Amino acid sequence: MSLLVFGMVLALLLPILVVCRRTDVWHRLAAFASVSTKVAMVMLVVSVVRDDWMVGLVGVIVLSVGNGAVMLLANLLQGVEG
Amino acid sequence: MSGALLADAPGVLAALAQGASAVLLGLGLLFWFAGSWPLLGRASYLTKLHYLGISDTLGSALMLLGLLLRFQREWPLLVLALLSLVVWNTIFGYVLAACSQPRRRP
Amino acid sequence: MSRLIVIALRMLIWLLLSADPELLNVAIGLAVSLALPLPRRVRALSPGQFWRALGESVTALPQAYSQAARLLLHRRLEESVVHDEPARVGGRASSVLVFLDVFRITLTPFTIALGLEGGGRRYRVHELVFEEKER
Repeated sequence: MSLLVFGMVLALLLPILVVCRRTDVWHRLAAFASVSTKVAMVMLVVSVVRDDWMVGLVGVIVLSVGNGAVMLLANLLQGVEG
Repeated sequence: MSGALLADAPGVLAALAQGASAVLLGLGLLFWFAGSWPLLGRASYLTKLHYLGISDTLGSALMLLGLLLRFQREWPLLVLALLSLVVWNTIFGYVLAACSQPRRRP
Repeated sequence: MSRLIVIALRMLIWLLLSADPELLNVAIGLAVSLALPLPRRVRALSPGQFWRALGESVTALPQAYSQAARLLLHRRLEESVVHDEPARVGGRASSVLVFLDVFRITLTPFTIALGLEGGGRRYRVHELVFEEKER
């Protein structure tokens, strides 16, 4: 299981790398969304492995609410650009 | 003979579930890498969104299924995560795609 | 029908989140999901339409996996087109139906819905097409 967590963190580095480069704001937004989902998944896996209900609850909440925030940002950005 | 086989059935089932969950987890990780890799390239924004849909929605769903097979004790949490992940992430891809288009004047 | 779906969804989330099937807990969940404000005006939705759309969304899941496998195996594609797909329920569709349709279109990796056009008569869909298929 620790191998799985290691691989997940490695995959998490890819969108972080994209965010750190200078790119279009939309690409950056998509990368941030990916980071949000992946962090929540890492949280869930760690919680299940450690058998900790509360951390898992936080993971589920991050999974749903974190994406909602990026959604709002996208709407705002469309209003600014259009 | 068959009695021994029947008595051993839970063990066999558990081993099968372990193997299947390992396969699912590995496949999910593979989807993550394969779907995130095009982000580094020079593809168009919408194409990247297609790949992100693969990696984040489908790959994560596979991982959650693998976890569900392995740890049955926390199933309500995992089922909730699976539901919210699939629905929410899909709609999220739609919102990102729709918002990146310039708004049309009616 | 739409209101019923909303209440059922709230109950489902409550029960999964608390993971406690006692009578008191269920009663609290039911009370809360009834007390939260409901959408005031909903468009008519027949159960037949709802079940068909839900079934199509669920069958889109295995399709999505097969398409994902094909997309990952064929690295050479990159022919993206935007086209219109007619919505089956013209005009004033219920929001639940529109939600399920957008979900079904966006879930499959080849297509992403871009919005609803023409007063809800058709969806704009962005689609990836293989180069080999074109020639």
